[in-house]
Amino acid sequence: MRPLEQTQREFLSALQMPLRGRSRASTELPPVDEGHSPEFLAKAEELLKHGANLSPAESLELYHRQYWFRLLDSIAEDFPVLRKMAGEESFWSLMEAYLLDCPSASFTLRHLGSRLADFTACWDGVEEVKRRWFSALARLEYAYMEIFESAEWESVPPADLATAELGLQPHVKLLELTVPADLCAEWENFSPEDEAPIYLAVWRDESGRAAQCRIDPVEFVLLARLRQRGMLASLFAQPTDREPAPEEVSEWFSNWQNRRWIAFAPTAETEEFPIIQHRGVRDIDWSRIDKMGSQARLMED
Amino acid sequence: MSAAKFTGGVELATGIGLRSPHYGHILSEKPTVDWFEIISENYMVEGGRPLEVLDLILEQYRVVQHGVGLYPGNADGVDRDHLKRLKRLVKRTKTPWISDHLCWGSIDGSMSHDLLPIPFTFEAVRKTAENLRMTQDFLEVPLAVENVSSYGDFNGNEMTEWEFLAEVSELADVGILLDVNNIYVSSINNGFDPLEYVNFVPPERVAQIHIAGHSRYERFIIDTHDHPVIDPVWKLYERAIERCGAVATLLEWDGKIPSFEEVWTEARKSEAWRESALAKKADHAAA
Repeated sequence: MRPLEQTQREFLSALQMPLRGRSRASTELPPVDEGHSPEFLAKAEELLKHGANLSPAESLELYHRQYWFRLLDSIAEDFPVLRKMAGEESFWSLMEAYLLDCPSASFTLRHLGSRLADFTACWDGVEEVKRRWFSALARLEYAYMEIFESAEWESVPPADLATAELGLQPHVKLLELTVPADLCAEWENFSPEDEAPIYLAVWRDESGRAAQCRIDPVEFVLLARLRQRGMLASLFAQPTDREPAPEEVSEWFSNWQNRRWIAFAPTAETEEFPIIQHRGVRDIDWSRIDKMGSQARLMED
Repeated sequence: MSAAKFTGGVELATGIGLRSPHYGHILSEKPTVDWFEIISENYMVEGGRPLEVLDLILEQYRVVQHGVGLYPGNADGVDRDHLKRLKRLVKRTKTPWISDHLCWGSIDGSMSHDLLPIPFTFEAVRKTAENLRMTQDFLEVPLAVENVSSYGDFNGNEMTEWEFLAEVSELADVGILLDVNNIYVSSINNGFDPLEYVNFVPPERVAQIHIAGHSRYERFIIDTHDHPVIDPVWKLYERAIERCGAVATLLEWDGKIPSFEEVWTEARKSEAWRESALAKKADHAAA
């Protein structure tokens, strides 16, 4: 009797082989001529019975398709701008290479793209310039996913700023990008410009929607310190590369307050049940909540 | 022993799966629905829209949690962090019971995001039951396991699927979420009599029943949850109710989701089948 652990390791390993044949043809993945490897077919015979209606290879192939269809659908949904900039062929080649190299390690498909930016930075499927831009773009689009599900703590009123332990709202993501990838959303085609690094904040606004803005490098440093939690004075305990003018700091604080970025560092109790904003029903974008389900994906044949 | 042990003593009638296309309608129109089932993993987050809508639903409706990521059949055990996140959600929803699938789905930290079939062996019975028992103890809420749709049988199976389900649920002392559509799908794909399956299930353990539609191909069926329930599945449902009594029933509709009204009307068809099944049961008892 084959041990359970061995069966499962071999079964999943077969599912993670590249899609081939008609299964592949029914996806957007670049076509290939080869069929299943002898290893895949042999594994099917080893693991599965000849059934009333399906051969072992057909049975394994049904699971194989479902594995890939689910991952490809999910990741394409999460990186729409990257898809537009890369073009169909490059995008799907990148997704296949990424998923082969970095299979999911999270309980949720929402985290499927968590390593895409790092992977893209080293992927040799496109030239160096695209690698930089696509990696930055993947980082930005993944931040949109992160803010979607991050906690929100109680924001600090101005009167408590000087006395409270402060923290940065968990749904505010700070990004340091080597290229201005935030411009890509407006482009029809990939048209890279000057590669000046940018600093971005991405967050959930009061209506629950994603928002982003560029921030000053020193503002970025101060917000990163705020993330570490502490009293107001701790933000300025260490010097920054540039000494900001008092008016600048005042304007930054005003913006942070207006956007509810400055929050009370939570107690154990508030971390257990974070503050949830109840907004008007019509104002909320409900998309992307149903990432996970028990249903199989529809097939063409 | 009765199914009440596996439902926390809570009796529910007809419910539907909570899906995002219906959120607006449910929150604005507040339709009368006995209960909603949520996919736990969609709400196992720190904040944001998922918990926002969940809190609004919880203010008005009973919610039962149904998972797709516990993977109790995993040879390397269930994930402790997953259980902690799940328990946190259980505290939020106050679900009377919780369910997940009798399947495996990951190994060595690599996730399939699918409900993969467990080989029906005695080793798998022991391992799966151990995982389920530990999960139920940790979550401190009754746990039910659902039979999955399958697309093949393993070489080396030592029992039928229905024997495996009964063995595991008995050994772990957990409830059963009987999915009659899944039984039908697997019966076509793997060539067995679905009625034999339904007749074998220990009725006292059945905490909930799932009904759903599927996609029929020339030689197999895929469990897509994107069609109305077909008559052969309703007949299996009727037989299951005849054996198990008035068990909480939930319609799953996950693909090509129609209007709330259409889904709810489909779910409520179960009530006529339930009544006829209970009448048959009463007749048999009288005889």
